[in-house]
Amino acid sequence: MLPMRAEVLKGHLDGLLLATLADGPRHGYAIKEALRLGSGGQFDLPTGTVYPALHRLERAGLIRGSWSTVNGRRRRSYELTAAGRRTLSDERSSWQEFSAAVTALLGNSPWPATT
Amino acid sequence: MAGNNLSDPTHRDGVTHYLAAVTAQLPGPPSARVAVTDELRDGLMEALETHQARGCSQVEATAAVIAEFGDPDTVAAAFGPELGAVQARRVAVGLLVTGPLVGLAWIAAVVVNALPPWRHQLIGPWLALPLVCLALAVAGPALGLTVAASGRLGRRLGQVVDRATLPPTAAAVAGLAAVVADLTLLGIITAHALTSPGSYVWAPVIVAAGASLTRITLAARAARRCLATRAALT
Repeated sequence: MLPMRAEVLKGHLDGLLLATLADGPRHGYAIKEALRLGSGGQFDLPTGTVYPALHRLERAGLIRGSWSTVNGRRRRSYELTAAGRRTLSDERSSWQEFSAAVTALLGNSPWPATT
Repeated sequence: MAGNNLSDPTHRDGVTHYLAAVTAQLPGPPSARVAVTDELRDGLMEALETHQARGCSQVEATAAVIAEFGDPDTVAAAFGPELGAVQARRVAVGLLVTGPLVGLAWIAAVVVNALPPWRHQLIGPWLALPLVCLALAVAGPALGLTVAASGRLGRRLGQVVDRATLPPTAAAVAGLAAVVADLTLLGIITAHALTSPGSYVWAPVIVAAGASLTRITLAARAARRCLATRAALT
């Protein structure tokens, strides 16, 4: 199974990144790995482009970064802000509505009769 | 752990060169570039350790990590809008802080010396004073736009304008407007001193002129850097 290209995730990346932080803080590479493992290897983004997306979310006030020192090197970890939790909740709701509608249309169930 | 040691030749030749290739292309303030470099370095080393833990040799792990992180040009370009916003915001904050100080210095110089504006007269070189007002009228909204676009509102503004270039563009406009205002004030006071010799209280004039000269230098440099960042983002 080939990983999906980054373009496929356009429009959903912010929500996915926020979701990786729902259970607690992670650093950039851990977020990327969580996306890859959580999607069964489908979402294997170029790691270097995940970091700018995190910076963008931080600038938007949806996540908060903090520095620590691990193994003698500086590490930046991210956690959700209150605004980030609200946005994640909204993203989940809209995705469930969207996916339910698409599933209804692309599924094998018969189409309703129209005039 | 072996993966932690950047002095290892494999890492030096691979990961460190990769990191250097990315950071050499990053725009923005030095401190922000250092922060990005530190963050990427940690990610690269973490990835190396992960691959080695899966059984890869150092050479294999290094090659895999570099492929995993992506092309250095692409990574650096992806950071461009964020670092450009950081740069623009710092310029805007600098202008917002120095603006009132420079303004107060000039007001003090005018009041202490009872210069024409203090007597509600716009004569001689002071006829150019509306140009200062015009520059401030441009700088104000440009600063507001910079602060908005480089902060939380940037995500929403990005739906209607080019999110990447707006902050450095607006900051450059504000910086250039500040330069115009300062140059005009310096020109006015110089012309006034030459055409209306008399006894001045020079201290406030020198303070105001010094403040403007300093701001001209800093604002012009900041505007040039913002324009360079904008050019790199387009």
